[in-house]
Amino acid sequence: MPILRGAVSLSRFLAEPPAREPKTWLAKGLRVRAFEPLEASSEEDRSAGFVELEDHDATEFSAGNLFYAEHALFSWRVDQLKVSASALRAELAKWAQAFERDQGRPPSRVEKADRRGIIQQMFRARTTPRSKVVDVSWNLKTGHLEVWAGSRKSAEEIGEAVEKCFGVKLLPLTAVAVAGALDIPDTALVPTPELSLGTQSEVRDVEA
Amino acid sequence: MSRRERAAQEAAFLRGEVGVDGRPADDAPDKADVEAGKAREQFLRGKTFVGREFLTWLLWRSEAGEPLVEVDGKPATVLFVDRIALRGIAGETTEVVAKGVAAPYSALVRRALDSGLLVHSARLRLTHDEKSYELSVDAEFLDIKSARLPELLSEEEDDRLTERLALAEQASALLDALLRSFLPLRAGKRWSKEAVPAMKAWMRGEAGEGRQARAG
Repeated sequence: MPILRGAVSLSRFLAEPPAREPKTWLAKGLRVRAFEPLEASSEEDRSAGFVELEDHDATEFSAGNLFYAEHALFSWRVDQLKVSASALRAELAKWAQAFERDQGRPPSRVEKADRRGIIQQMFRARTTPRSKVVDVSWNLKTGHLEVWAGSRKSAEEIGEAVEKCFGVKLLPLTAVAVAGALDIPDTALVPTPELSLGTQSEVRDVEA
Repeated sequence: MSRRERAAQEAAFLRGEVGVDGRPADDAPDKADVEAGKAREQFLRGKTFVGREFLTWLLWRSEAGEPLVEVDGKPATVLFVDRIALRGIAGETTEVVAKGVAAPYSALVRRALDSGLLVHSARLRLTHDEKSYELSVDAEFLDIKSARLPELLSEEEDDRLTERLALAEQASALLDALLRSFLPLRAGKRWSKEAVPAMKAWMRGEAGEGRQARAG
């Protein structure tokens, strides 16, 4: 758990929290998108949602487990079921051979497709989902929200979920976003030809 | 040739798959063009070039080892360490990676910068209030990666968590303070009149190296 220990990788955002008492809206928002485990009978092979920081099976989000001084701390859990394609192919080939021996003809396309579904379901029941958890810290005083992961893909997925659940706009803290916060106009930020480009024609190309 | 074959050939021609002679069209794009297009896309995406110019300016400013900004009333210094990656959009080389304790300030890196490459990612050591933070940063998102925070002083579990959060936020605040000191300069007239010529002189290893401009 990176918030608690280990090397730190952060994707940084600025989010204006709603002007209401966080104890009411925060837990409610997290519960809306709370993690739900994958069901063996379901066809879904991926499930993602919010869990508590210190217990990745808990989705109560009681104040004691959510608020640490001025921070709200929680996690984003993703469970994924992956059935090995090569194992599936091998099992299907074994069945096709047996079918041909018994019936004296190879299985038809429809029979093969049906069997594939059955084997897939059998493998799913045997496979344990792979679980990945990413921590999130939200400083409710400054509005800084940090996703404690090196992967930009994870950060973007969590950012989208936060925006939807809490109705806030997340601003990634890139150089351009900070320039915007400093009221520096967009027109003042064009590439510096002497630093990054060889010739004036290349500048024109890039600007075009 | 049957009517069916003729129709198939005509359809393939209309799709651009074959030429008028019926032979496959050779429209595979040139590898160099693809590479240049990709480099340009990365350069422009979300104005990544601003982040690259920031890191390049920071490399130049940090070489003297003097404090660059004040955070909470205390000076902060920056040192580039270990690994640095440069990227460009023009010329034969679109990426250069240099590794080594002093690699970021080496003549090799300066020459590469002078030829039109900019710093895309680097490992920085930020020192502030007797604490040292080491982190990798990239120009596109300014995300902090693989950061090593100062040693925790608290002993209680809850206090350690609060201290770790505070240190991570401080590392982020230091990076923001550096960026906030760069952006007004970048958007003003002094950028092209003073800073850029001084940086170019430093890249070329010219005498004086625009120390005056760096101090400003």
